[in-house]
Amino acid sequence: MKIAVCVKQVPDSETRINLAEPSAELDRSGFTRVLNPYDAYAVEEAIQIKEKLGDDTEVTAIIIGGEQVMESVKKDCLAVGCDKAIRVTDELDNAEALQIAKVLTAVVKRDGYDLVLCGKQAIDDDDSQVGIMLAELCDMAHVSVVTDLEFDGNNFTATREIEGGSEVVKGATPALFTCQKGLNEPRLPSLPNIMKAGMKPVELLTCADLGIEVPAAHTEITTYIPPAKRGECKIIENEDPAAAAQELAKLLREEAKII
Amino acid sequence: MQKYNGVDFYSFEKTLTDEQRSIRDTVRGFVENKFMPLVRDSYRDGTFPLELSSEMGQIGLLGSSISGYNCPGLSYTDYGIICQELERGDSGLRSFASVQGSLVMWPIATFGSDEQKEKWLPALASGSAIGCFGLTEADHGSDPGSMITTATPDGDNWILNGNKMWITNATTADVAVIWARGPEGISGFLVEKRTDGFSSAPIHGKMSLRASDTGELILDNVKIPGSCQLPGAKGLKAPLACLNQARYGIAWGAIGAAAACYDHALKYAQEREQFDKPIAGFQLVQAKLVEMITEITKAQGLVYRLAQLKDAGIDDVYLTSMAKRNNVAMALDCARVARDILGAAGITDDHPIARHMANLESVYTYEGTHDIHTLIIGAEITGIPAYRG
Ligand SMILES: Cc1cc2nc3c(=O)[nH]c(=O)nc-3n(C[C@H](O)[C@H](O)[C@H](O)COP(=O)(O)OP(=O)(O)OC[C@H]3O[C@@H](n4cnc5c(N)ncnc54)[C@H](O)[C@@H]3O)c2cc1C
Repeated sequence: MKIAVCVKQVPDSETRINLAEPSAELDRSGFTRVLNPYDAYAVEEAIQIKEKLGDDTEVTAIIIGGEQVMESVKKDCLAVGCDKAIRVTDELDNAEALQIAKVLTAVVKRDGYDLVLCGKQAIDDDDSQVGIMLAELCDMAHVSVVTDLEFDGNNFTATREIEGGSEVVKGATPALFTCQKGLNEPRLPSLPNIMKAGMKPVELLTCADLGIEVPAAHTEITTYIPPAKRGECKIIENEDPAAAAQELAKLLREEAKII
Repeated sequence: MQKYNGVDFYSFEKTLTDEQRSIRDTVRGFVENKFMPLVRDSYRDGTFPLELSSEMGQIGLLGSSISGYNCPGLSYTDYGIICQELERGDSGLRSFASVQGSLVMWPIATFGSDEQKEKWLPALASGSAIGCFGLTEADHGSDPGSMITTATPDGDNWILNGNKMWITNATTADVAVIWARGPEGISGFLVEKRTDGFSSAPIHGKMSLRASDTGELILDNVKIPGSCQLPGAKGLKAPLACLNQARYGIAWGAIGAAAACYDHALKYAQEREQFDKPIAGFQLVQAKLVEMITEITKAQGLVYRLAQLKDAGIDDVYLTSMAKRNNVAMALDCARVARDILGAAGITDDHPIARHMANLESVYTYEGTHDIHTLIIGAEITGIPAYRG
């Protein structure tokens, strides 16, 4: 059984973005970079499946990016139990979802994975598309926003979040899942495994090695715009909670016009 | 409040390896997710949250600088980083790891027989067994060489008699490293829980290090086989060498406690408004914060250098004494200033500061009091030991 986990390094959610005015460029130099939190659920799920199915299951983390992504790959993938990693080294920072999906497709097709796990979205660009595009391009079954997964080695039962409830989906390998919070609780890497992670194999690839061109973008990001300044905060000072609630409802209806 | 992101004004951590930063993040994650939710109740109850012991073992936090026997064999720098992150949570948590690793596993690994190592090290590393270190006696603290606990040979066995006081993990330990005076001077022994004549009692009424088990060990004609003696531990220098290991961890740990107080006080001062502006905007408050981060940064300079020295095999006691002495006093000052910045809020356990402040009083005293370390350094630079008349 071969499992792939597609991961991305993203800025920490507490990163402060220095952008005073609209600009074509973002200064990313001071960013603290971490593994995309949803990808951590994908990694954990893959490792749990490996633990259940036994040692001939192999988990490979796949990432696209420069040398700086290796800290996350080592710490959050290899040290917690992935067996190896593949890093595609082409310059694809801030690429579109389809560009990324095409590169990942080349890797997945080359290696023939039975299962592919992704995060449900990356918290930086919030596209939520790469996983699904990858499944389509590879002609695999896919279930997105998965909160529960049962897998016996061939067949799966996945529960996915839908508006106001959940949906249970059954299918068979090859299959791709995008993972949602709640699926599991990612483990901390142990200190001995952190030390061993550096010795696990990492394959470096380029698009050329995969026999494809670096996929071209269809769009261009023209401007980054800082969020509008938050308005003044109004505090309702009324001792009586019922009266305060009434006043709040009135303001929401008449001033904010949102109810 | 925002999550804790460490205090590293001079970017010492930039010079660490990826692995060392991962170790930091793992320990920080463990402290944040597993320990912080428990610490307030543990402190109130006066207990250590023992349920964390096996998880600490699993992660590799117990005896992490020991090699072999399922221990990770990390460097001194790694071990320091671990202590700094643990004590950011609570001195009691770091004490638990220090005692287990430096005061129990280290002497077994250094002075023990192969049989002792095989029996105890894997169990202690996994957290399934807990250890304690019995050196101090009620009437023999700073001067442990005058101890009165005795070890008397009896055929192939030893008979131990005496009382040990102020012992961390005393009532929970499965094995105690006991130091006693025998015919050939001070020797070390491994005494198992439930050995006849061996008992423990908790010390009640502590106002410091409450999230830690501190107790008394009573040895009343305890008969143990000769194989329980640590064969390599000869004389007072053996337990003192253990303390030197643990003190090194304390020098790092104290920075964690100071950083927790500084970080908390800074965030509080940025949010708390008086006279229509955040108190962080007043010059006097800024001066306090600046003093704290300067002292923390200087303390980090000491331990990062000390770690290099130790990793290079240079391990003189007075080097560690300087870092323990300076850093614990520094942390205590930081805790007091941080408490001041929080005003009345600072005295409650809604905030971590009073807890750190009270804890650090113990840390100031144990593993050689502040003044004993002054005398160790004084003896080194003057050539004249001042401890005795
Ligand atoms: C919470 C806690 C946990 C502990 N855990 C352990 C443990 O696990 N194992 C263990 O063996 N011990 C442990 N200890 C004991 C600790 O190591 C001793 O408390 C310490 O060594 C000091 O001894 P003492 O308390 O008897 O103080 P004393 O030695 O009586 O010292 C009292 C004061 O006199 C000063 N003083 C003493 N001698 C001199 C001198 N020559 N010149 C100048 N000043 C001097 C000291 O600096 C101090 O200010 C623990 C203590 C505490 C508080």
